Amino acid sequence: MSGQETTTQGAVPESTGLTVRVESFVGPLDLLLHLCRTNEMDLARLSLRTITDQYLAHLESVRFQDLEMAGSFMVMAATLIYLKSKLLLPANPDDQEEALDEEGELLKRELEERLREYARVKAFGAWLSEREAEQTLVYGRTTAELPPPEDIPLEDLSVHLLQRAMQRLIEDQKRRVPRQVEPNPLSVLERMSEILDLLRSTWSLLFSSVAGGERLRAEWVVTLLALLELVRLGQARARQAELFGEIVIERNAVSVRQPARPAEPGEEAAGAIAPGDAALAGDGSPDPTHEGPPRAATPAPPDDEPRTEPGEPPNA
Amino acid sequence: MPEPIDVVEALLFASDTPVEADRIQEVLELESTAAAREIVEGLRARLDAEARALQVMEVGGGFRLVTRPELAPWLVKLARSRTRSRLSRPALETLAIIGYRQPVSRPEVDAVRGVNSEAVLDNLLERRMIRIAGRKESPGRPFLYETTREFLVAFGLRDLGDLPKVEGELVVPELAMAAAEQLAEPGPEQEEIAAAPDSSEQDPGPGGDRVPTSG
Repeated sequence: MSGQETTTQGAVPESTGLTVRVESFVGPLDLLLHLCRTNEMDLARLSLRTITDQYLAHLESVRFQDLEMAGSFMVMAATLIYLKSKLLLPANPDDQEEALDEEGELLKRELEERLREYARVKAFGAWLSEREAEQTLVYGRTTAELPPPEDIPLEDLSVHLLQRAMQRLIEDQKRRVPRQVEPNPLSVLERMSEILDLLRSTWSLLFSSVAGGERLRAEWVVTLLALLELVRLGQARARQAELFGEIVIERNAVSVRQPARPAEPGEEAAGAIAPGDAALAGDGSPDPTHEGPPRAATPAPPDDEPRTEPGEPPNA
Repeated sequence: MPEPIDVVEALLFASDTPVEADRIQEVLELESTAAAREIVEGLRARLDAEARALQVMEVGGGFRLVTRPELAPWLVKLARSRTRSRLSRPALETLAIIGYRQPVSRPEVDAVRGVNSEAVLDNLLERRMIRIAGRKESPGRPFLYETTREFLVAFGLRDLGDLPKVEGELVVPELAMAAAEQLAEPGPEQEEIAAAPDSSEQDPGPGGDRVPTSG
């Protein structure tokens, strides 16, 4: 129970009295030990009264940011208060200041033991720190240029490293997930010329074959808009036999108009043909109904099927 | 044919880890590790006598060739950096506890330090100063930690025996154990004993059957 084994001056933080911020203490034991030292107190004769008062005063003066940290300090405070309450109870009047009953005495002794143990740890920490300082002055190889051994020694590997490696691998994999590349935004104009292109080599085609079988909403909407525009311009006709059924797109050879130049319906009668239009219309496709330049604003459908109204619901 | 002493110098120069005496014995096909040691000592003497820039150091159970401390300023300048990062005080204290008590679990470390050591242990694991040695057969089966060879090298220790001897060792004195056991008996006070991290769990070794109360 002698305090001589706890001489660890090196490990004590520079004491600036009780104004020291709690952040500089790593735990309640740290603070308690520091308070004992600033009182130049022998650990074996822990003065509960003084220490408890100072400890509590210190906690009051401190604002905790870390709840868990605060909790551990409070536990110590509670222990100290408990011990102090034991002291306040009438005990042996002849015994002076520190009179505890048996239980309190045991608790106090345990506290002392813990402090002593902690003081020892601090001393070792200080010793290690000195060793570390010495070692930072010498430099040796940390990586070898030697070829790696054929068998990798496993004894140096720990579960922790394995876990780290696995985690890194998973992170890597996550990063390698294929990025969704957005296709160029669909353009109604492009789709219109696509349809016209297709119609050049075939008489009729199915809406779904143009819009794509994947039924992508954007594809279908754009295709429908393109179709409606072509119908409006009189360059194509559309038929839908039943509600939500397949739309059949047909060439309308009567009116050929540049899709890039959307015109007012009335303007169609003017019948102005761009050179491109003529080329488009007369590119040699075996088209019996081809009549060359349009002559009428009212193209006559080759059959009696009603034309799809622009406002009709798409079958997508 | 090169002299054995030159071979040993080459081994120590080229290796990234301390080279053990028996490894030298194996490589040079010597008769005993004592012979290996003898050659290393010869090398040490030669380097010292010639006041060379390198010196032989015995750390982590083997031999290393390192620069002399006096040369550190130039090396730091070469590296265009400040000195190497050092461990924090809590990290050093935690390392001290593990060094003396290994293998030891986190609740035990917490109990000695009186504060949660999780972050510190993670840091030490990251720096490879400690490693997981297994699990303790106690409730929660906490990991057991032990120091590594890197620890010995970082602190210039030959082995754990190089740690300073201390009176009382880093184990709980029997008195505290007895006190804790007695205190555990009466009812109303028990809570407060349990609330304060209990020193009784400092009982070392995996065989300890005391239930850690903190953590």
